[in-house]
Amino acid sequence: MTTETLDRPADETPLRTQAPDAGTLAGPRPSERPTAGPREAAPTPVADLPPIRILHLWPRLLNVAGDGGNVTAIEARARWRGIGTETVSYEADDPVPDVAAFDIVFAQGGQDVEMTLVARDLPRIAGALRDAADAGVVMLPVCAGLQLFGHRYVPNSGEALEGAHVLDLETLGGSQRFMQHAACEVTIDGETATVVGFENHSGVTELGPGVEPFGRVVAGAGNNGTDGREGARRDNVFATYLHGPVLPKNPWLADQLARIALSRRTGAPVVLAPLDDAVETRNHDVALAKAMRNRGQRTALTPATLHRRGR
Amino acid sequence: MTETPSAPPADLVAARRAPRLTPRLYASLLAARAAGAASRVLGRGGGTSLPGMVARRVDPAILRTLVADRGVPVVAITGSNGKTTTARFTAALLRGEGIPVAHNRSGSNLVQGVTSLAVGFADVRGALPPGVLVAEVDEGALLVVADELRPRVLVIVDLFRDQLDRFGELHALGAAMDAVAATLAADAVLVVNGDDPLVASLASDRAGPRVTFGFDVAESLDRITRAADTIRCPRCRHDLAYRAVYLSHMGDFACAGCGFARPRLDVAVTAVEVTGIAETLCTIRVPGGASLELRIPQAGIHVAYDAAAAVAAAVAIGAPLDHAASSLAGIRPAFGRMESIALPDGRSVILAFSKNPTSFNTTLRALGTEGEPRRLLIALSNTLVDGEDFAWLWDVDVESMAPRVEWAVVSGTRADEIATRLKYAGLDPRQMTVVEDRPAALDAALAQVPPGERLTIVAGYTPTIELREEMHRRGWTGRFWEQ
Repeated sequence: MTTETLDRPADETPLRTQAPDAGTLAGPRPSERPTAGPREAAPTPVADLPPIRILHLWPRLLNVAGDGGNVTAIEARARWRGIGTETVSYEADDPVPDVAAFDIVFAQGGQDVEMTLVARDLPRIAGALRDAADAGVVMLPVCAGLQLFGHRYVPNSGEALEGAHVLDLETLGGSQRFMQHAACEVTIDGETATVVGFENHSGVTELGPGVEPFGRVVAGAGNNGTDGREGARRDNVFATYLHGPVLPKNPWLADQLARIALSRRTGAPVVLAPLDDAVETRNHDVALAKAMRNRGQRTALTPATLHRRGR
Repeated sequence: MTETPSAPPADLVAARRAPRLTPRLYASLLAARAAGAASRVLGRGGGTSLPGMVARRVDPAILRTLVADRGVPVVAITGSNGKTTTARFTAALLRGEGIPVAHNRSGSNLVQGVTSLAVGFADVRGALPPGVLVAEVDEGALLVVADELRPRVLVIVDLFRDQLDRFGELHALGAAMDAVAATLAADAVLVVNGDDPLVASLASDRAGPRVTFGFDVAESLDRITRAADTIRCPRCRHDLAYRAVYLSHMGDFACAGCGFARPRLDVAVTAVEVTGIAETLCTIRVPGGASLELRIPQAGIHVAYDAAAAVAAAVAIGAPLDHAASSLAGIRPAFGRMESIALPDGRSVILAFSKNPTSFNTTLRALGTEGEPRRLLIALSNTLVDGEDFAWLWDVDVESMAPRVEWAVVSGTRADEIATRLKYAGLDPRQMTVVEDRPAALDAALAQVPPGERLTIVAGYTPTIELREEMHRRGWTGRFWEQ
């Protein structure tokens, strides 16, 4: 029976991390530091920055894997900087919004059943999404969002779903589920960083000439397990398979999206004030280490099936 | 209830003959006993899954031989949240009526765990004692063991999104449940949660007997949140309309698209009150119109669901319910389910196991009835049973808890993910300490708990077991499998 530890003073406890001092504004840690070097310019005065207008597409339908955390991340980081946010949800059959009037558009992961419902609604809003993408609105379609922003999604069973044609890509249902910690290298406006997350999809996506990959696979399967490409990008549409959710553990990416969105909105290059990202950066580094341990594999776990035997 | 106490059906208490003892069966039973004894001596998991694993290796057919082939009456309980508690309640209700019960109390519910249950209760010749086998079965393992158990009653408590990285999509799980229901004997009873749209829609064309349970309460007790799963009609995918929402996606629902609606309830909770973190009062209407007034020493709306499921299981197997109130009045929480542990120095620990968005939200709501958690130890780890991907943490309503938290010690191999989630829910990083190691985290947390005060632990499956084991080592509580 060990009870003496009860009296152990707190300062002898082997704490792994001390809570960061909120008074300091620590810069990016080495693993997070962009290769092109941090921007030197002074932060744009908050008074000059309008609220970030966020459009969250089909949150009731595309709602798996905690991707709503991406919206939370943009909202919280704006709040910490004193920047406002206004979030509007769009559900199937709602009046079609003026997508180009928003700054950041989210579409998240969803299951096959829900994807068919979104696909049914998609023709109503697809034109507005394409126009907004052409106009440079920032978008982050994740997983099912990525697949539905493409031309077509052909599932393993059931009918092919026509996408929004925002992105020049096509997805076929695959025979294998990619389900593991993953990482990719992403370059935005000359800065490169490693973006980490968790992939969980069986779709096999091929990119057409109209898009670039979002990132280069460092660990994980990426779009299809073969060509080393992760996600897709055109203009300011950043599409990825990475859940996690991806923005809270990749503050660099979250800030790039906010910076691009606010620069477009204000018509002048915006520099965001740095935040203390010690907590997020540790999360990023742990996820990266997990991804690197699985490097070269397509799945971290042998995916459990409902037909397990003899366990 | 005022009726004369009734006797349990004779076949539930009748003695059974042993199976034909083959050398293989005998060897398997002996090996399982040796494994169970060795495992207990080593203090590893109380021998909850090892005997079954060993027994199956020697005789893969052992579960079928001992259970299905002997016609042992089995109540199998499956679903996402509440299996363990429902199984405990069911066992208590049956025992209260004088029906002997063999039951996997420890919640070891995979194929080997269920096999351990059977071999553990069998005698040296392989005969199970008279009475009912109450088996909690993992929703993934059910497809394997259903045929080996041939349950007389199958209870599906609910289906929630749980470990997408283990089970895949929720509708696939529903399809698997349908497949299991199709293998049931014609006279087996399917007990389903009528308030859960997906569960209520299962095996709807099955001809065999069916008992539904749920809430018959006019006002909503919850609201549809980001964590809700089945908010569209499982038949036609139209959005469901709720007259009342009781817990996540469970409620009095109807589909305007195809007319599918919450079925008539055979067993219904008509009133429920969570009075604190250690008590739930509820009234349950049973077939025939009588009502049970229950005072259960565990907290949460989900506890009333579990009680209704257990009452429905008792009804389904034909057991009387004359002693239901006293049977459930003294039932302690399953290990880690809002379990209160007293420290020798007068302080206490609430151990609240949470594994998915709905169980997390339910736990947080129950804790909130007493303003908890204030001093928080929170832990999640990546393991095979806990899963790799904790993204669901972002669907939990952590924001509602954050203002109550004075400080949090964050632990487990995914402490970093929890710390990020807490920060984005509004907790200042200065309120958090990350201590990955579980015993060290317990020390770090208790070092900050003043005399006479309480520490709340919210943890995933493996950290719950680790922290409980650590508290057992310190002499504060028994082992979970000894309860």
